[in-house]
Amino acid sequence: MSDISLEQPHTTEAHTAGAHGHGHHGAPSATRIDNMKFAMWLFLASEVILFTVLIVLFLIFRINHPEVVHEVHDATGVFLVALNTFLLLTSSWAMVMGLREMKLGNRKGLINWIGLTAILGTVFVALQGVEYSILASEGIGIYNSEFGMRFYAPTALHGMHVIAGVLWALGVIVHAVRGGYAKDNVIGIEVFGLYWHFVDVVWIVLFTVIYLL
Amino acid sequence: MAEEIKHTPEAHAEAAHHDTVTFGGRTMPIYTAIFAILAVITIIEVVIAELPDGWLGTLLLVILSAAKAILVVAFYMHLREDSRIFLAALLLPLFIGIIAMLFLLAVPTTGYAY
Repeated sequence: MSDISLEQPHTTEAHTAGAHGHGHHGAPSATRIDNMKFAMWLFLASEVILFTVLIVLFLIFRINHPEVVHEVHDATGVFLVALNTFLLLTSSWAMVMGLREMKLGNRKGLINWIGLTAILGTVFVALQGVEYSILASEGIGIYNSEFGMRFYAPTALHGMHVIAGVLWALGVIVHAVRGGYAKDNVIGIEVFGLYWHFVDVVWIVLFTVIYLL
Repeated sequence: MAEEIKHTPEAHAEAAHHDTVTFGGRTMPIYTAIFAILAVITIIEVVIAELPDGWLGTLLLVILSAAKAILVVAFYMHLREDSRIFLAALLLPLFIGIIAMLFLLAVPTTGYAY
């Protein structure tokens, strides 16, 4: 497969370090880095379509049945989900701080920050479980109300993405412990970061559309 | 003239040394400053959501939500310094989704009368 040129104007100097595979010191070349990131962005593009469909379905229901959504909001409150939003935002910050630490050559810092990311992601999923149990106790299930399916489909799909992200974070930690990253070799962390921040962005939209509007 | 952008790992490592901002006499990583902004916006959103419903509140919530998403994409996902093709990969499906939503919203909830 031919390389896709993603360089900005006047960046040819940066791309001459290596054509394929790895450049000097065993670090991946700039072209390989760009290709890996582009592949992740294409994956995220497909995810945008998936989540957009589910969010649009909820929005249409929200516009046509505002009274139902208000009843659910009154029953559940916004505190728990606001806390969860804060946790996910914090996890995104921890993720990018971990990447920064590795770029500065601090492997221990990377492991600590990504560990915090994984913990916050796990707590997020646990609190989402608590929220689901509250909704179930209010009689809001998947099949027994029009609201249920439109609510659970996007939020549960997002929750599954968080679980996958937590597992990926653990993989990053294991790889870091084994010495898999270096100051000039952080592409594995960057690609994971793109995924994790995307999950955060999706939640930012879901939080507003489902819980606040 | 636009600043020259390098994608080499060395350039990224160099950039990590300079990605700090000074606020109130304190120097911190720009990512921490962005996190603080995101947290404040979230608190404002929750306060607005607790106010009585109205078009202004809805508009503000949409704007604040979009601002948060843009901050994360631009700074945490590094889109402000990466290739514009990555931005296109994000915006194109979003555009298609919005067009699809507009078509769906145009369908009457009671269905069409033939």
